[in-house]
Amino acid sequence: MYRKMSVILLCLSAVLMLAAVALPIAGAQGANQDIYGRDLPADAAPYDQQIFTELCDSTRTEITLSSVVSVYQRICGDTNIFDQFGDALVVLDENLNLIPGAAESWEASEDGLSWTFKLRPGQVWSDGTPLTAADYVASYRFMVDPANAYDFVWMWQGTILNWSEAVAGEVTPEEIGLEAVDDLTLVVYTNGPRPYLPGTVYFWPPLQAKALAEHGPDYVLDPATSVSSGPFILKEFTAGTRVVMEANPTYNGYRKPFLKEMHGIYGDQLNGSFLAFQNGEIDRVNYTHISPADFEVIAADPILSANYRPNFGDFRTDYLFFDTYTAPFDNLQVRQAFAKALDREAIVENIIGSQFGIAAYSFLAPGFPASDAEGALKPIQNYDCEAAKALLAEAGYPNGEGFPAQELKLRGESESRAQWFIASAASISQCLNVEITVNNMEFSAFMEGLLARPTTVTFGAVSYGMDYLDPSNMLGVWVSTGRHSWRSPEYDQLVNDANVLVGDPDTRTQMYKDAEKILVEDVGGIFLVHRIQGDLWQPFVAGECFRPDRQGVGAYHWGNDWCWGSFYITSEVSNFDTYRG
Amino acid sequence: MTGYIIRRLIALFFVMVAVSALVFVLMNAVPGGPFSLGERGYTADALANLERKYGLDKPLATRYVNFLTGALQLDFGNSFAVAGNPPVTQVILQTWPVTLQVGIYTITVSFGLGLLMGIIAAYRRNSWIDNLVTLTATLGITLPNFIIATFLLLIFGFQNGWGDPRKWIIPPLWEGGPALLSWDYFLPVITYALAPLALVARYTRSSVADALGADYVRTARAKGLSDSAIMMRHVLRNAMIPMITVLLPQIPNLLTGSLFIEVVYGIPGLGKYFVTSIFNRDYPMIMGLVLLVAFFWGLTYLVTDILYTLIDPRVRIAGRGSN
Repeated sequence: MYRKMSVILLCLSAVLMLAAVALPIAGAQGANQDIYGRDLPADAAPYDQQIFTELCDSTRTEITLSSVVSVYQRICGDTNIFDQFGDALVVLDENLNLIPGAAESWEASEDGLSWTFKLRPGQVWSDGTPLTAADYVASYRFMVDPANAYDFVWMWQGTILNWSEAVAGEVTPEEIGLEAVDDLTLVVYTNGPRPYLPGTVYFWPPLQAKALAEHGPDYVLDPATSVSSGPFILKEFTAGTRVVMEANPTYNGYRKPFLKEMHGIYGDQLNGSFLAFQNGEIDRVNYTHISPADFEVIAADPILSANYRPNFGDFRTDYLFFDTYTAPFDNLQVRQAFAKALDREAIVENIIGSQFGIAAYSFLAPGFPASDAEGALKPIQNYDCEAAKALLAEAGYPNGEGFPAQELKLRGESESRAQWFIASAASISQCLNVEITVNNMEFSAFMEGLLARPTTVTFGAVSYGMDYLDPSNMLGVWVSTGRHSWRSPEYDQLVNDANVLVGDPDTRTQMYKDAEKILVEDVGGIFLVHRIQGDLWQPFVAGECFRPDRQGVGAYHWGNDWCWGSFYITSEVSNFDTYRG
Repeated sequence: MTGYIIRRLIALFFVMVAVSALVFVLMNAVPGGPFSLGERGYTADALANLERKYGLDKPLATRYVNFLTGALQLDFGNSFAVAGNPPVTQVILQTWPVTLQVGIYTITVSFGLGLLMGIIAAYRRNSWIDNLVTLTATLGITLPNFIIATFLLLIFGFQNGWGDPRKWIIPPLWEGGPALLSWDYFLPVITYALAPLALVARYTRSSVADALGADYVRTARAKGLSDSAIMMRHVLRNAMIPMITVLLPQIPNLLTGSLFIEVVYGIPGLGKYFVTSIFNRDYPMIMGLVLLVAFFWGLTYLVTDILYTLIDPRVRIAGRGSN
């Protein structure tokens, strides 16, 4: 009898012990808790409704969900569906400060020739493999390997030791300046002091070294082989049709998501996003996919307008530029005349809309490091039609006579943005009495012409936004090896020297300011507008991400990827007709 | 007949070779390439690596010979622009079924309704029915389908909120898609069908009206044949020849899809690649699709010619029995 009781008690104990062990593994998910066992915020909708959906572009070229494989061909590239399968080493906070990502700390060596990143302990991949510095080393070696033909190699050319040589096939990928000293210590060796290096590693979540070796880089596209050390893991993927990611139960990083799933669905992103948003099919629309007519609808609707959240985005500036190596734009007075003939204020007020841009008189947008916050550069290219006419006359074209007809080439701009440049051409044309036609070219053809040497884009318009938060990035576009046919040895010297200056941030900033002044004075470009970007969010999307920054702006913006750990769907969703039913 | 078909298929093969050579040269002559992407462009080393990876570093003639060799084994190469760089053949096999499905529904609706409307309009010439058919035909031909699609989506998808908003994402039937006669197909098929329906209705009306006025129809009436017998045996049979000439070539278009229909309604089909592969300079995809379409068109014209002989005994295959 006792023996029987003992067996039963033993079995019961075993069952209880198993349950005790199993519950934490399963996340001990309660009534309205996430898979990590955390209570959702008090105003959150049920966990089953914690789904966030974005609209991807059916017409894009796209091959991967990882920025390590390609930047220009990322799946759902205009959304945040990609790069959720890991954490980059660092990330930006809402005030643009670098904060820990997968790395809990980082520091430069005393000689400034290397950076050491310490990974947070305890981070794991979804298959149980620990996330180690070797995964980052494998990912950077993958990118630099000529056989993989990575498209964004410029990011570390001249920065990471032996990077350029490896891209050119002169040394092996194993010889680049990255070393996994131990599981949690990654050292990056540089070509010289590179104070901006931590800022350049903020959007490259790693691939897993083991999966990369076993399955190749496309392991991220197959739920059967995909592993994740990030907040989400791949659940379903059909190319050009659907991406479904679910919260990664093993994730132990800094941005555990409240969201249960993220979905990417496909459609007419440019023309169909706002309709899909109104239809409750998607939860966010980027400003680039909202037409002027849609903005009128938004402005007239108190709920929509309250949920359009402007932000500085990637500090994008739209500008006109020249081939300064050939006539007539090799003449500084011609360029100055064009610059002073552009009535930016009127264009911003009447065409662009003052809520969508600030008239630009320099390249770096307000708020960007080393930008002209004081407006000291404004008088240089300020609108002054009489002065512009005088400059053109001095250049040999009084009242525009004899000036060759020009074609302003655009880079496949949307209808509404093309209007910005048509108005710019009209402003210059009317003031100077010169003939300017506008040609909105196809993107690839424009880029090929821009980068050709000699360039085939004599007079063009384009925009640029940051890749990382340092003037070396934005101003690097204008060095003589950059994309424009404009050259200033003084400018090159200042930018190149500032790029490697450590220990004296004030001097470094001033060098960039001096360089930008040269760019504005020599009219490498005519700066039209600093864009005010934004996203339209469904009213039931909430999260710490929307807390105001020091300027009082509460919005998701480029680089603050910690936000994806904060977003959740509020119970207000029940008042709307959405795909959640 | 068999010999004729074999000769035509051999000719089709050479047409496809010629088309492939022409398109290959043209697509490589277009400014911009598959890697003219991004804001800064590519560094020279990066571009060289990409060209090497995708085989674009070889001379044009070598690339064409390589392509032709592969194409003979139905290997058109790997896409530059689809996730995972899959073989073009695989992309076509994966996406064409759903396009075919929507296309078959569209053909059924447009040809079925169009024939019916055309016949009724021919019988009731200058009546309100005839005017209605003419109005529908004019609208169908003049309104671009992306405008129709947008309006239908606004009215039915958004304002009326028909069912699950995601219903426009349509997988093929055999992959757990909606039921055979689901409403999910309604808007895409109506949008897609309107233009061919208009064409079918117009040509049917015109051909049937001509046939109705012919002597043999008057004779048949004089012999006391019923209207339905006259329609089936005499009118439709004679009206078929011009209709086949105009209407059959619509079929390759409808079965290979449309960018607008597929993108607007989120249909994961083949149609969008006809346009996006050109914008994305996805050379292998362009070549694969061009050959597919060339083959389809060649086949359609062959079938058209054979149908002529079946419908009208006076038409004979060249070299046989003609007087």
